[in-house]
Formats: sequence, C-alpha cells, structure tokens
Amino acid sequence: MPREAEPSLNEKQFLLQAIQENLRLDGREPDQYRPLGLTFGDEHGVADVTLGKTRVLARASAEVTVPYADRPLDGVFTIATELSPMASPAFEVNRPTETEVLLSRLLEKTVRRSGALDTESLCLVAGQKCWSVRVDVHVLSHDGNLIDASCFAVVAALRHFRKPDTSIEGGVLTVYTPAEREPVPLGWLHSPFCVTWSYFGDEGETALLDATRAEEQVRVGSCTISLNRHGEICQIAKLGGTPVDALMLLQCTSIALAKVKEISSLLDRKLDEDTKQRNKGGRAAELTAENDR
Amino acid sequence: MPLDTSAYGLALLRVDGRRWNELRRMHAQIRTQAAADGSSYLEMGHTKVMCVVTGPSEPGPRRGGLGGTASGGGASSAQSKDAEVAVSIVVAGFSSVDRKRPGRGDKRILELQSTISSALAASLHTHLFPHSTISISLHVLSQDGSLLAALINAATLACVDAGIPMTDYVVACTAGSTSTYAANDEAADPLLDLNHQEEQELPGLTVATLGQTDRVAVLVCESRVQVSRLEGMLAVGVDGCKQVREILDRVVRDKGHRMLLEGTVERGAGLDDMEVD
Amino acid sequence: MAATEQPIVLPGDAIDPSLIPTHKKQPLRLGPGLRHIPPSYIVPTVAGQLVTDQKKNSMWIEYNSTRYIPSANDLVIGQVQRSATDLYYVNLSPYTSNAMLPHLAFEGATKKTRPQLAAGALVYARVTLANRHMDAELECVSATTGKAEGLGPLVGGMAFDVSLGLARRLLMARSREAGGVEVLELLGAEGLAFETAVGRNGRVWVSSDSAKTIVLVGRALRETDEGDLGVEKQRKLVKKLIRGMR
Repeated sequence: MPREAEPSLNEKQFLLQAIQENLRLDGREPDQYRPLGLTFGDEHGVADVTLGKTRVLARASAEVTVPYADRPLDGVFTIATELSPMASPAFEVNRPTETEVLLSRLLEKTVRRSGALDTESLCLVAGQKCWSVRVDVHVLSHDGNLIDASCFAVVAALRHFRKPDTSIEGGVLTVYTPAEREPVPLGWLHSPFCVTWSYFGDEGETALLDATRAEEQVRVGSCTISLNRHGEICQIAKLGGTPVDALMLLQCTSIALAKVKEISSLLDRKLDEDTKQRNKGGRAAELTAENDR
Repeated sequence: MPLDTSAYGLALLRVDGRRWNELRRMHAQIRTQAAADGSSYLEMGHTKVMCVVTGPSEPGPRRGGLGGTASGGGASSAQSKDAEVAVSIVVAGFSSVDRKRPGRGDKRILELQSTISSALAASLHTHLFPHSTISISLHVLSQDGSLLAALINAATLACVDAGIPMTDYVVACTAGSTSTYAANDEAADPLLDLNHQEEQELPGLTVATLGQTDRVAVLVCESRVQVSRLEGMLAVGVDGCKQVREILDRVVRDKGHRMLLEGTVERGAGLDDMEVD
Repeated sequence: MAATEQPIVLPGDAIDPSLIPTHKKQPLRLGPGLRHIPPSYIVPTVAGQLVTDQKKNSMWIEYNSTRYIPSANDLVIGQVQRSATDLYYVNLSPYTSNAMLPHLAFEGATKKTRPQLAAGALVYARVTLANRHMDAELECVSATTGKAEGLGPLVGGMAFDVSLGLARRLLMARSREAGGVEVLELLGAEGLAFETAVGRNGRVWVSSDSAKTIVLVGRALRETDEGDLGVEKQRKLVKKLIRGMR
C-alpha cells in the first residue's frame, strides 16, 4: 500500500525555520488564503472549488424517499466524501483513512448538525414521503486544507441546487420535471464556512491559515473553526496536538470571523453572477407573474 | 422534555441543584486492575468510564492508519521515532437511556479515538520509546454528558498509573452557556460541567488543558453559539480543568500513600527527604 | 554541436525523411523517444519535439513527463529511506520503488569512516545502473577519479519539486540558449547568494544563508515551471520578486 511520501529532513527543517522567520514558501502572509476559485456546472448543484492546487468537486442531488421512522417530519440529508487515489496516491478506494473520517465528521457537524439546511422544508407527506438530499464531495487534488475547500464546495453546491417543484392534491404527490415547472431552491437558513488554523513551534505559538500539504506535514496541531457571517460558531474542533494558549485560540476565532465574512460575500457574488448568466435569455422575466401596468 | 432554564435566573441553581461554577461529584480510582500496566476508573457525576493501558510494548500488526492511532514524525517509514498511541473505545450498549450498540467503524467513535490519541501523544514523552506502541482501552459504562472529558481524564490517570513519563496531566471538562445562539443577552451565564440534559439543550464545549497552565490541548464545540460567548465558556472551562487536575492529583497521591502503608511498594531512597502527605 | 529546431511529433507519426540527418562515416544514433523498426522505419513513441544533431549524427525527442525513469549517468537528488547492512535505500520519486546506494560509494569511505545518513536525508548521486528489470543503483563518487565532485549528502537548504522538463533544461550546459532557462543566473545577477543542485528526477536543492533567498528562488522556479515562461518573462518575474522582497 503506498504510504504518504514523507518530506525530507532538509525540507522539514527549512519549513520550520522559515515559519519562525514569518516566511511562507509561496510568499503569503500568515493569515492569507490562497486564491479561492469557484465555478458552477451547467446543471444545478455542481460546484468546483479550487484553493491553490487543492481542488474539490461537490454535487448535490435529491430524490423522493421515506423519512426516518423517528423523525417523520424531517427530510433526509447526507453528505458523502470520496478521497480517491486521484487526490493523492496515499489514499485508497474504499479504505477510509483518518483524514477521511475527520473530514466527513467535520462536514457533518458544520453543515448538517448546525441546521444550515432546513430539513423540515424537505418533508412532503408527513411520515410517508420526503426529499432526500445528498451531497457527494470528491477531492480531485490534495494540496492541503481539504476541510475549508470541501465545506465551501458543499455550501456552494447546496445553495446552487434546485429541487423539482412538487404539489400535493388529495394525497397524490406530483413531482414536476424541470420542463413543466421551474425547480425551486432549497430552504437555506445560514451558510457556515470552515477556517482551519495550523500551529507550529514547540508551544504552538505560530499560527498559519490555509496550510499547503508541505506545511500540513510539519505542523504540530490544528484547529478548525466553523462560523457563519452572523458571528455564530457552528463548531470548533481542536482534536489534540500540541497544547496552544487559550488566548491565541480566541484571537484565531476573531480573525476567522473576518475571513468568513469575506468568503461569504465571495460566494454571494458568484451565485449572483451565475443567476444573471442563466437568465441572459430573459427567462426570469418570462417566469415572473408581474404584469406591466 | 425541554430543559427549563427559565427558572435559572430566579434561583441561580441548575436542575440538579448546582451553581454555575460547580463540578459534579468526581470520583476516581487507579490501579483497579492488577494485570494491566495501568488502569483507572473515573466517575464524573453519572458518567462512568474505565480505562486500561498496556505499554509501551512491541508494535502489533500495523493497521492502515484507521482512526485512533497517532505518532510523531516519520510515521510512514517502517520505523517511527516516537511511540505510537493507539486508543480503542468500547461504548457499552447499556450506557445510555436507549439500548444502542454502535458498530465498528462508527465515525463518532473514530473521531473520539483520534482526539484522545493525539491529545495524549502531545503530553506523553513518546520520544523515549521509539518503535513501540502504547495501547489505551476505554470502556464507557454509563453516559450522562461530558463523555469526551471523562475519557480524557480516565486515560490520563491510567497513563500515570502505568508510569509512562509525561509532561503534565491532560485534564478535561465541559462548559456551556445559558444563552441561545441567536440571543444577544448579556445576562447569560457560562456553566461548568454539563450533564446529558444540559448538553442536549444548551450550547457547550469540551476543553482539555495541560495541567495548571492555560494551554488548550483539545477544544471541541459541536453546537451553535455566538462568538462573544466563547470567551466566557473557555475561561470557565479552563478554570474547571484546573479544579479537575487538583482532584486527579489528590487521587494519585492518596493511592501512592496507601501503597506505601500497605507495604506493596518499598519506600524509595531519598523519599525520606520528600514530604508525603 | 548544432541542435536545430524541429517540429512537434506524436507517437506513431511518420518522420519526414529530409529531417533525418545523414553522415558519411558515423551511423545514425537514436536517442530517447524514438524506436527503430528494421529495416528503415524510425517511429517516435512519445509526444514531443524532434531534435536532430548534424555533427554527432543523432536524433532524439525532447519531452516532458512527470514520472522519472532512471537512466545511467543521470545526476539525481534522492531521499534516504532506511539503511540496510551494506546499502542505503534511496527514494528517487515518491511512490516508486527505492534505488540502492552502497555504504562505501562515497569519497574516501572505508568501513570505519563512512558518512552516516539518517532516514530522510538528501543525497546528490549519479545513477550507475538502471534497466527495466532491476531497481536502480546509485553512487556518490566518480568511479574513474575516486573524487566526489559535488556528490554526497546535502546538508541544510530546501528541496523543491520541478517538472522533469525544467530539470533537464536546467542541467544543460548552456541553459540559456539551449534550454531557455535563465532564471537562476538572473537571480544571482541581482545579488542573491545561493547554491543549487539540480536532480534530473525533478528536484532542485537550494541552499543559502538567508531563508528569504531560498524562498525567493523557490518561488521563481515554481512560477517559471508552472507558467512555462520564456526568457523575457523570466526577466520580468525576477524583477517583480526582487521588488517584492525589498
């Protein structure tokens, strides 16, 4: 089984020394993200995110199923992550590594458990039929910071997605195809984003944002903070690693909030651009029910 | 049944009669199993956890890095420079209100294993035992909130009992807040040591620190809470950890004292100069 | 040694007979990327630029690949994985099998006085033996003269990954004209003091007293590689980086 390629001693030493001197290999500031790129697919619900050389693709889809027995009024929402050898030769298909487990748990906590998607709006017939929304996250290239990129991709895909319109008449559920009725967006409550800090140094005194693969391999600890732009923390995960001063963590959280606001406005802008592009033919004008007077 | 926090403001007492900064009754024992290298039993309120430590010993057949193992640099080469800390958690089916047996590969358990493993690896002097494994087995007998905190405390005690050199105790406890996530009320108080009911209703976090310092080894918050509440909760949590450390330290010293009295252990040379209380 | 500009060919293309050099005495030599099917077919097997040399009567294909395949007499930078009884296992490219470097293949090495290399150390070595059936073998000393000539363990500094094409161009004797890579000379001309070792397997080791210099050289290499910059653009890149540093 191919294992992670370990960086050489020279590389490790140099990276640590450079970080001590406040230098990063690509010339970034300690709290600067790599350029974040987002493209939507032609279909609704496909988001392709690039963060430097890390590339993640998320695809949202929906189908009608039976709700869980203990939650008859809620829909089903699952997030599935795929780390294949395409991302890095160190991963194997169907053999979950620790990275994959942690990534999927973080996405669960950030997007699912924080209630970003209104699952009650997915209910069609209480106890019998509901929408099951599924987001598949595929990591295409791994150059560090999978968590932030994946979370952004998931949120972008879900906000971009349109589910088919439905109507219920006398207990009969009709699902309309996109040709019959325009699909509707999902019930979205808030947009959480993840910010991952990496710590270096014997006491974790130096913190960097958005570590590349090389930096991730020499870090001594990491903390992922998920926030939305209203200043609500959805989750914090510092799962072990070198103990870091509590004040430093609080500082990291406040810088994270500023970053999340930037990322959030970037996403809004991209969604607006995409909507404008799709409506170029004036479809939006055709679909509105307003009359000119 | 939703937790009735409205009464909190009136009497400043929680449902179980504690004030905001009181820990639950904590009871711990070490060397509960003579056969193991180190063992401990910890109760935080009704959360009961048992821990057994074996090691450092020969590394077993290598697992593919699947949850619960953490080692220092050089993990991928055939020989690692540090000892590997392997954690396995078994949650008994009878531990919570509904009988549930989480199967193998449950991601929540894997995440807990990974967290405890890297938290302890940061404190244990693993560089003294290259090419070896320290195996920690945790069994959860009863859950009433603060599960991760109890697991970390039990694992620390068992490692102390096993005599593995470490920098300091890694102690953990939980903290919460009476505010809801949307409200901006200034009157919201942070709470220390949440039980199951409080954990479900109120936002809370688990924090683990290194001994008496303010350095945070583990911080896990899985609920929505305003950023402004974080500082209060963290401060209360860190303070609670210091209290927990006192308790755990006293447990260890009591046991040592008792072992001297019973004659199980010979009094070491030079100990006459030390004060054993 | 005149190498002429030639067209891009794809595997299986027919080569224009007028491009094949002729010589009265020397037989035609085929380099990497070309295959001879007797009696008279010469077929390219990789996609790249066909280069011919009239003087030496040889032709070969310049191509850029990502997987390094060891070939004899190449200078490479390898990473020591572990040490066995008489040799070191050295890794030339990640996720491939290791090459072997004997313990005594260093300058002035005897059983008692040999350099001790830890796992993860970098060495600059030459490939002695490489064929498809066996793992490659390396040496850190020139077999003829017995001197190291720059080979051996690399201490300090930082190793960067580059594409194989850029590594080959950096290793050419006259990298400016033949390879079109000038970025290292330009950086040196601006007053930066550093030393480099280029491995044909796509790694470049850079060492300097100041970490800032090393980071700058690394960025210059990476951007030249990814942007596929010509000589003019390399000059602009160097100017921009120097300005950013000051």
